[in-house]
Amino acid sequence: MSKHETDPAKLPALGRMFLWTGNKSSVDRLVYGIYGVCALLFLADFFYEKHVYLAIEEVPGFYALYGFFMCAALVVCARFMRIFLKRDEDYYAPYDVESEDYPEDQLDKATHDG
Amino acid sequence: MMVDIIPTAFLFFLAAMVAPFVPVVLRSVLLVALPILAGFQIWYLPEGMLLQVGFFGFELELMRVDPMARIFGLVFSLAAFLGNLYAWHVRDTVQQVAALLYAGSAIGAVFAGDLITLFFYWEGTAIASVFLIWARRTEGAYHTGIRYLVVQIGSGVILIAGAALFYRETGSIAFENMTLGSLATWLIFLSFGIKCAFPLMHNWLQDAYPAATVTGTVILSAFTTKLAVYALARGFAGTEILIYIGAIMTLFPIFYAVIENDLRRVLAYSLNNQLGFMVVGIGIGTELALNGTVAHAFAHILYKALLFMSVGAVLFRTGTAKGSELGGLYRTMPLTMIFCVIGAASISAFPLFSGFVTKSLILSASAKEHYYYIWAILLFASAGVFHHSGIKIPYFAFFAHDSGLRPKEAPPHMLIAMGIASFFCIAVGVYPQPLYALLPYEVEYISYTTTHVITQMQLLMFSALAFTVLMRTGIYPPELRSVNLDSDWSYRWLLPRMIRKIATVVAAIWNGILSFLTQRLKNIIAGLYHSHGPEGRMASTWPTGAMVIWISVLLGTTLIVSFFG
Repeated sequence: MSKHETDPAKLPALGRMFLWTGNKSSVDRLVYGIYGVCALLFLADFFYEKHVYLAIEEVPGFYALYGFFMCAALVVCARFMRIFLKRDEDYYAPYDVESEDYPEDQLDKATHDG
Repeated sequence: MMVDIIPTAFLFFLAAMVAPFVPVVLRSVLLVALPILAGFQIWYLPEGMLLQVGFFGFELELMRVDPMARIFGLVFSLAAFLGNLYAWHVRDTVQQVAALLYAGSAIGAVFAGDLITLFFYWEGTAIASVFLIWARRTEGAYHTGIRYLVVQIGSGVILIAGAALFYRETGSIAFENMTLGSLATWLIFLSFGIKCAFPLMHNWLQDAYPAATVTGTVILSAFTTKLAVYALARGFAGTEILIYIGAIMTLFPIFYAVIENDLRRVLAYSLNNQLGFMVVGIGIGTELALNGTVAHAFAHILYKALLFMSVGAVLFRTGTAKGSELGGLYRTMPLTMIFCVIGAASISAFPLFSGFVTKSLILSASAKEHYYYIWAILLFASAGVFHHSGIKIPYFAFFAHDSGLRPKEAPPHMLIAMGIASFFCIAVGVYPQPLYALLPYEVEYISYTTTHVITQMQLLMFSALAFTVLMRTGIYPPELRSVNLDSDWSYRWLLPRMIRKIATVVAAIWNGILSFLTQRLKNIIAGLYHSHGPEGRMASTWPTGAMVIWISVLLGTTLIVSFFG
């Protein structure tokens, strides 16, 4: 896949079990799975008796549509906000930790194979 | 005075005094064992006012035990236990002592029955906690710590001012439910609000928490803000303005969380958002709502600590917590990843995880009391929190693009701490009855109804769908190394520059006046010198005889004075 690829045999067994997430066709399948689950959940609204407080909750798929569109709006707004709010990492330096390295002596950096 | 009970806070203070003199390994054991001991003590305490102490004519209530204080005391003990276990490897005495003093102060404040005791512990949390930031020992951390301390101490000063006015008004220092109205209550309210990170007073949180040490942030995340939630619930339950403040709190941090790069700061923003839910619950003030607030605080402390622990473990192994630098870590840190996902599912309120059975109490209360817009905002914030904490944190740290980093799995003690926190997150979600039994009021609420499970799953899965679609279409904003301006810009950038500008103008005017005056003075001196100096025209007319006369006058006066004296 990428230049970083490491020998899977050296990875922890649990880590190997998730290697499929790096595989494009598996990710595609996962995405189709999400589409499928969403479709089912939407349809589920027609097959049970809703016990709710508010009239708007009665609308079939209300929660689904609200979740989808509000989240999309959230991301689009946030992206738009970035135009005004984004600054370089050293904007507040040296009065800020953002552009500093974390002190090495407080870490225990180690790679998985040694 | 017979003392038959040691206040729980004093156990922590005692341990903090002993800790520096205990051998290194034993110290870690002490740090982990003490919160367990404290937890047992709180569990078995009888209810009531258990300990009064005289203080300058006041009767201080050090141990007011009731269901509300008890559940906060318990969860604070649990958080201290988890935090200290997570910090098992730390050999820095400063951090260890600070952690003990901090947890002790927070627990002390929860059991405080009067405003003066509350004040002492309130400031105790401020002073002890700043050392967890300074312990990073960098210039940036030092400055951040100072900013944090100014805000926290400020909150305490406002509290004692409010308490003093309150005493003058009512003649009582008891810490009971208050009604907003007088200056006194407004000051106390403001003091709580600062610590609770109300909008525009919130930035100390996002500024300071990511600046603390790996383990310090985990400990910080549990106490200060939840103490403020407790104080608001105790002092201002049913205050309507809190509903609107809380709603704004749930709303605006999620926008920042989407574009923030430092994952620990993303978590700080989502912490702020979660506090909003609790504040709304306090504002509604019904039994259902207050139960919701307390239950949510309990669940929140655990899943928030869990999330900070997992990101902290990544930082500990890789040296960074920035989304732009991470990715693909599931390969070598799979356990940390799984724990992170459990924390993410809990904060997102997936069925079978803790957030599901606690947050819904607050949402139901808002709908029941006819706050429909608030309900809609909370629902949006629930979806948003899944988006930025539930998906973003695990995705950018452990999946996304492969950063090429292959760090070793987190050390065993961190994994154990995360495992225990995960256990509680799931246990509360699957079987909430024991938690409900601890709440201040009777609970008649069933979380697991078909409607609730399906509607919640719809909300969450369609949020995930939105994330997927936006990610695949490239609309989702990429993680970039950056700083985002927030309200702290006003005092970190604008104010210093304004002061500098004003100082320059004032200095220029002052210098102008000063140089004008000195010039005048110099001219006068020069003029006098010119006329009266040795070379001056006036000097030429001074007869030597005049001097002799004056000397004889002086001598004569001296003679007379000494004759009569």
